[in-house]
Amino acid sequence: MQLLRDILDKQVVDREQVKIGKVDGLVAELRQGKPPRVVAVELGAIALARRLGARPGRLSARLAARLSGKQQARPHRIAWTKVRDIGVDIEFDIDVRRTKILAWQSWLRDRIVGRIPGA
Amino acid sequence: MKKLLEISLGVVTSVGGFLEVGSMATAAQAGALFGFQLIWAIVLGTICIIFLVEMAGRFAAVSHHTIADGIRERFGFNAFLWPLLAVLLVNFLVLSAEIGGVAIAAELATGISFQWWALPAAFLAWLLLWKGTFGLIEKGVSMLGLITLCFVVAAVMLKPEWKQVAAGAVPSLPQHDTANYWFMAVSILGASISPYLFMFYSSGAIEDQWDKSYLGTNRAIAGLGMSFGGTISVAVLIVAALVLGAHGVNQVDDYNQLPLMLISVFGFWGFVLFVASLGIACFGAALEVALQQAYLVAQGFGWTWGEDLKPRDDPGFSLVYTLTLFFAAVPIALGLDPLRLTIFSMALTAASLPLTVVPFLFLLNDERYVGQHRNGVVSNAAVIFVIALGFVLAVVTIPLQIFGGT
Repeated sequence: MQLLRDILDKQVVDREQVKIGKVDGLVAELRQGKPPRVVAVELGAIALARRLGARPGRLSARLAARLSGKQQARPHRIAWTKVRDIGVDIEFDIDVRRTKILAWQSWLRDRIVGRIPGA
Repeated sequence: MKKLLEISLGVVTSVGGFLEVGSMATAAQAGALFGFQLIWAIVLGTICIIFLVEMAGRFAAVSHHTIADGIRERFGFNAFLWPLLAVLLVNFLVLSAEIGGVAIAAELATGISFQWWALPAAFLAWLLLWKGTFGLIEKGVSMLGLITLCFVVAAVMLKPEWKQVAAGAVPSLPQHDTANYWFMAVSILGASISPYLFMFYSSGAIEDQWDKSYLGTNRAIAGLGMSFGGTISVAVLIVAALVLGAHGVNQVDDYNQLPLMLISVFGFWGFVLFVASLGIACFGAALEVALQQAYLVAQGFGWTWGEDLKPRDDPGFSLVYTLTLFFAAVPIALGLDPLRLTIFSMALTAASLPLTVVPFLFLLNDERYVGQHRNGVVSNAAVIFVIALGFVLAVVTIPLQIFGGT
């Protein structure tokens, strides 16, 4: 398996097959005398912006902090130990409703889309 | 038997969905000014789109990825950003032009200026997307689009010199208006080879849950559907050449000149048929382009998407088509000339082709996606040809826009 080829930018789903996002970033741990090890995947706008460069990354982190509080100034992470299956999508053994990853979609549903008749 | 039904349904929907404001306007303009001479551009464009649509369907059926998914996954986010932005922009202009086409049809029918119809047309399209299912959009609206076959009937009734029609299928150099000739050729190619068409098709294959057993169906739909669709475009060009040319209309710069094409064949009913064809064809295309815009964003960022879901279950996806439709209607509501916008956006579509077609060369030859169903020599040659054509078009579009544009 190659990380950049087979993991990065793949579709992520939770254990209910709900689409969470794409693998926007990878987190590796450097270890003394041993090869580095993947510990988590990152999702969200901040992780994406960081891939475009350091400045867009800082900018989007600042924006996220302004919009939804200091805790949201970091990308969402899912521990690599939760990975369950790698096929067309990568499935993680989590329930996305218990995370903040889709908080913006819930906000959109409750505040805007859900208020339009017929939604 | 079930497969046969599926194939005919698929062919019918792609025929009904083929003609839209771009192919109609460019074919009519080309026919009026250059007679049958530009038929080759429609033929060439149709052959190219057959190959691309077949590949998009095959990719989706075998890999269970849409083209947008595939580009992001295979090339990474930073590379994906370029086709994403290009297609979003081109689609936006095309959507605006389609809404303009619906608005013009409404103006012809009622006499009330097209500007007033842009927002109602966009609202109606939004309502269908908001409440409707993918089947309704794909099949229902495209079925109505079969009314555009009246152009084929008209072309046959006008008894053209078929020898001359055939001669037009072979590229030739213009005797007059050289820059305009090539600009028309570019616009026709842009109208035929629309990125939204093959990207929408790959999303549709996922919505309809295609797998490897659909490869034959896919080939038949791509080949037959697009060929019949291209035939309608050729018919528009023939009718324009015989009617508009004969009435001394060489420069189509106003939509009001266009109903004449069918009136001289069918009389009053020709007017009705023209208005219905223009309205339905553009409305159907507007639905597809708006939906494609939402597919592209949702797939690019991995959100939940699907036209069969309720909007509250895919809020991000629904919001994208809602906003797109609204903003695309604004320029028309402000009075931007739909015909000029159409021609401009078709040329821009042609220029954007390399960004969306180059990935095909990699995705359709990558065993990890398509396994043993990789491209053969012919398909690869076709992709390379479209890419080369796209690069040429990208380079020549802007100068032609300045010297040959309307």
